[in-house]
Amino acid sequence: MGLVARAIEAAGIPTVSLSIVREITLQVRPPRALFLRWPLGHPLGEPGRPAQQRQVFLDALGLLESARGPGALLEPGYRWRRHTYPGESP
Amino acid sequence: MDLRRAKNRIAARLLGMFPGLVDRWARGRRFAQEGAEEGAGEADPWALLPKPLARCRIALVTTGGVHLRSQPPFDMRNPDGDPTFREIPAGTPRGNLVITHDYYDHRDADRDLNVILPLDRLEELAREGRVAGPAPLHLGFMGHVDGPLVERLIRETAPAAARRLAEAGADAVLLAPA
Repeated sequence: MGLVARAIEAAGIPTVSLSIVREITLQVRPPRALFLRWPLGHPLGEPGRPAQQRQVFLDALGLLESARGPGALLEPGYRWRRHTYPGESP
Repeated sequence: MDLRRAKNRIAARLLGMFPGLVDRWARGRRFAQEGAEEGAGEADPWALLPKPLARCRIALVTTGGVHLRSQPPFDMRNPDGDPTFREIPAGTPRGNLVITHDYYDHRDADRDLNVILPLDRLEELAREGRVAGPAPLHLGFMGHVDGPLVERLIRETAPAAARRLAEAGADAVLLAPA
């Protein structure tokens, strides 16, 4: 996926990639990546949990605005099933 | 379903249950661009947001094997995978989207596609004015690409996908892996 991100960026469109496998991201170097230590198949989190999905989306958009150069990697550190997101009751 | 596909699906479920296995597997492999050596010193690509996010149309790219029910499914027979992509027009009803991908456990994504392709979240953020809206099209890839097909992805299909997004007027792209 990082290879696709690089191709899109090379065409002049800024990209932000979600990352689940840190090793692949470090090797492929997508321009901007948000790393989440979550199970495969769940880059935006759990099914039926919109507040969590929304937070990931917002973090990714934030990285589009804040990253200053290629290889930007942000790790918000949300723990799988153990984090309460804005809009959820704890 | 043939035996090979069944084995792939069982392996995918195991990897989903034990994320540590994924890391260990990934450390023993090379994922860097095939052309990295010949292109050594080539700068990493970088593009800036053309305007504030609130005026940007966002395209989503998933490698989770999502496509329209009416489109040909991704190739699950070739062990090297499938480097092609499918175009998903904005506003496609969710019921018209399916997942063909034996290499990860997509039962949760089948229940709520937003965990890999956040179409509903994008629409909400557009209604709130945080972004201008979805780009006219999103793209579905199937993330299992190996062997000689990696080269085809780099040389042909990924640049073609980028061109389609540019033609469609996408201002920024969010990519989500499986």
